[in-house]
Amino acid sequence: MNALPDPGEITNALSSDSFRACAQLITAIERATPGLTPVLQVLYRGGRGNRIIGITGPPGAGKSSLVNQLITHIRRLGKTVAILAIDPSSPFSGGAVLGDRLRMMQHSADTGVFIRSMASRGQLGGLTKAVGDALIVLDAMPWDYIIVETVGVGQNELDIMQLADTVVLVQTPMSGDDVQAAKAGINEIGDIYVVNKCDHNEADRTVRFLQSMITLGLHLQPEKIWTQPVVKTQSVSGLGIEDLANHIDHFFSVMKPDTPDMRLRRRHRIAYQTKGILRDILERRFHDSNDQQIENSIDAILTRQSDPYALVSELLAAQG
Amino acid sequence: MKRQTDYGYEIKNVYTPADIPNFSYEQDLGDPGVFPYTRGYYPQGYRSRMWTQRMTAGLGTSHEANQVLKKYRDMGQTGGMCVISDRVFSSCIDPDHPLGEKEAGILGWPGSSLLEFEELMEDIPLTGQSITLLGSCAPSPLRLAYVVALAGKRGIDISQVHGSVMESPFENYFGQTDVSPFDQNLKLFLDACEYVLRNKIRMRACIISQHFQESGGNNAQAIAIEMSMLKEICGRLVNERGLDFDDVSNLPYELVSVGTRFFEEVAKIRALRRMWARLVREEFKSDKCHLLITVHTSGRTMTYQQPLNNIARCAIQTLAGVVSGCSALDNATFDNAHSEPSNLAARMSLNTQHIVAYESGAADVVDPLAGSYFVESLTNKIEEEAYKIYNEIQSQGGMIAALKKGYIQEMLSNEASKRFREIDAKERLVVGVNHLIIPPEEDFQIPIKEVHANDSRAIAERMAAWKQTRDQGALTAAIRTLYGGAKKDDRFNLMPSIIDAVSVYATVGEVIGVIRKARGISYDPFNIIECPFELV
Amino acid sequence: MSEQKIKVIITMVGLDGHTTGAEVISRVLRDAGMEVVYLGVNQTPGMIVNAAIQEDVDIIGISAHASNYSLIEDVISLLRGSGVHDVPIVVGGNVPRHTITDLKAKGIAEVFAPGATGDEIINYIRANARAQNERAA
Repeated sequence: MNALPDPGEITNALSSDSFRACAQLITAIERATPGLTPVLQVLYRGGRGNRIIGITGPPGAGKSSLVNQLITHIRRLGKTVAILAIDPSSPFSGGAVLGDRLRMMQHSADTGVFIRSMASRGQLGGLTKAVGDALIVLDAMPWDYIIVETVGVGQNELDIMQLADTVVLVQTPMSGDDVQAAKAGINEIGDIYVVNKCDHNEADRTVRFLQSMITLGLHLQPEKIWTQPVVKTQSVSGLGIEDLANHIDHFFSVMKPDTPDMRLRRRHRIAYQTKGILRDILERRFHDSNDQQIENSIDAILTRQSDPYALVSELLAAQG
Repeated sequence: MKRQTDYGYEIKNVYTPADIPNFSYEQDLGDPGVFPYTRGYYPQGYRSRMWTQRMTAGLGTSHEANQVLKKYRDMGQTGGMCVISDRVFSSCIDPDHPLGEKEAGILGWPGSSLLEFEELMEDIPLTGQSITLLGSCAPSPLRLAYVVALAGKRGIDISQVHGSVMESPFENYFGQTDVSPFDQNLKLFLDACEYVLRNKIRMRACIISQHFQESGGNNAQAIAIEMSMLKEICGRLVNERGLDFDDVSNLPYELVSVGTRFFEEVAKIRALRRMWARLVREEFKSDKCHLLITVHTSGRTMTYQQPLNNIARCAIQTLAGVVSGCSALDNATFDNAHSEPSNLAARMSLNTQHIVAYESGAADVVDPLAGSYFVESLTNKIEEEAYKIYNEIQSQGGMIAALKKGYIQEMLSNEASKRFREIDAKERLVVGVNHLIIPPEEDFQIPIKEVHANDSRAIAERMAAWKQTRDQGALTAAIRTLYGGAKKDDRFNLMPSIIDAVSVYATVGEVIGVIRKARGISYDPFNIIECPFELV
Repeated sequence: MSEQKIKVIITMVGLDGHTTGAEVISRVLRDAGMEVVYLGVNQTPGMIVNAAIQEDVDIIGISAHASNYSLIEDVISLLRGSGVHDVPIVVGGNVPRHTITDLKAKGIAEVFAPGATGDEIINYIRANARAQNERAA
């Protein structure tokens, strides 16, 4: 890995040797390389507001294959796309096998596609911050679309979707029991619902269930300008992909940047991103503090001469 | 060091009648040729029919492979020929595809068209020996079409040809990946199977556990998988294609990987026959359960270090195959971990079989280990373990359902990792690898068969030039008929139109490409080239 | 600061479909705490090099089962031609001895023949992957 680029030159670096520069910046983000903040600040202010699509859903729903088909479609239209694929890490060793790229391999030789895998654990500043920062880098480049793909298990991975403009929730056909369970579950977060593997027997039932849920939601929030569509796909053959892509484009044409809904979303995103950065700075302050000093404070807390709130005040008051 | 079978059963130091309680000769064994066929299918054993001794050929051009086949015939291999395809043919692309031109003929026979098959078989009879063409599942219908088309051109009655050219779609999951989608592979495989059965062609279909085991699966898993695959495929041919099980039973051909743990390997094959016989009775209400069992001595056990040690391993494995009563045997060669077989290594392997056949006396008697407390106990043990796995697969809905859930893949992947760790930790000793190691400079240097990338380019260039000389009108017509058929229901059999297309020299890339297109996916599995035909 | 994770590509090249070795070693490296980008089968040299650049990996591992070694040479020249000089490429598989010598002469950092232990491979990567060199420097 090369040294970090100078903030003044970063925009240049990203436009000339863009893929390498971009990849190296993302590594620096994952490894929390010191000196990164001014670079990210420059990039953020020069950001283009690219269309960011979040894709999530349970393991085995066929997300990566779906993304693969979506890339094919986008490229056929002559547009470019960057993908950030978040893969689960092993909770035991901290290592990870990042296999999503495997299912997108046919695009590996294409210069209009950038694919980066990221492990979901072990990011020094937390996953939210790492993904948020990586999106800052990608948003400074002229991509027509940016796709963030995560496995929809665990709050961490679902939270990431708050960084996207629109969220595609991928489901496989569900049995009756699963439908019941899903009612209470993650279905609220989708802007576009996909029922993948639609050749399956239960596909239509799942579509009907999702539609009825959406109708119910409409009654509760009649002022919403976007009604979630339900799209049937088959990621192996590519069936339904064009439909999905059209819905994504339609989303952006309805939810224009100046609409109140979209403005609210982007404000939420900034707040969310800011919280991630704040959490990172505070946690880092905890970890970077003189261990002995913290240990002494903990000793004092143990004997009830102090308390955790006092320690927090100390840490917040510290320099840096 | 572990004293366990590879599936984890702890071996005792001695076996007695107490280890085979309730043993019943009639129920558990039966005479050779009698249900449940534990002792084999033939009362006379090898006295009535010697096992087919064969070596695999196929490297370089078709002409070169033809020379090798003739040489093997001179060396005494007359019962059957076996040719393995290169990766280009197995991937269903042509040598002149951008990904083909560096690998055509590198690791097998570049059989991308009938032209290549005609050259391969020049001056070699199609009858009087079994014709085995190996590769991956996807080009199975092409391999069958070659045989049918060439028999037609030579004016031979196709019912006189026998062998095996089809491979099941399962091996794609067992470390022998080809690029076609599973459903398409399954459909074309069933088409080919149905075609041979309806036309009384004596062609077998590989539904084999070898790749599963060579990729790391253990003995008990291997026979459980084998039972599950057989049940799934035979069941589909009966239920979906409306065939009679008694005909279907002639189809499966099992290639068993046999390793060095002699008694366990013999027990495995005995259990395999018994389990299949019982399964056929229960599931298909039939007694036709003669599975063609070919033994492949294990390539996985052939070590890189001290390769001459592999000759000893191969001899033990060959003896195990013969004692277990296999119908055909082919050997991994002692240079297996280094390269494709050299002439020396191929000759050694074939000679190993001849020594077992003519010098050891093992071929004189049927199932010589029957009644051994140890072997009968091991036969029961592996059967018990295999049934557990088999039942789990059935409870998931059968082989295909279990694959779609990832159950089989995970089982294999876990087992392969476990095997690697056992050797790493010296729980399993491999002489020359983790035990009794010698410095590499003291190691005997074996001759290495060279493969040259230049040959690939030549094969590719010839293919590109030759494609222009075909009867384009006939070709396009055949391709369009095929395309129309491929758009129909999966049960519409494409074999006749594939044979027609192959007969006018459509290549594998073209035939499979057009079928892919009809099924809504890209013509080129790698998305590099476009379909050269205008399809309507 | 906690240790930097080593990021590794494990791939096959060309039409080689023997996935077992690549899968086993991916697990071994994962269990040693590394991040493995598993590319799987049917990778062209160009795809491998693009992946190495986009994923910004520290080392590339090619699993070769009696493979076409000229494709491995193409990976070396493409990678170096793209200006990546600090990412070593290692090969694992049944590579004939004289080919090992050839590959090393052409820029392959190490070849692990069958029988190499997990620890040998892990230790080699820890000592030679790009990130480690940097830290030492």
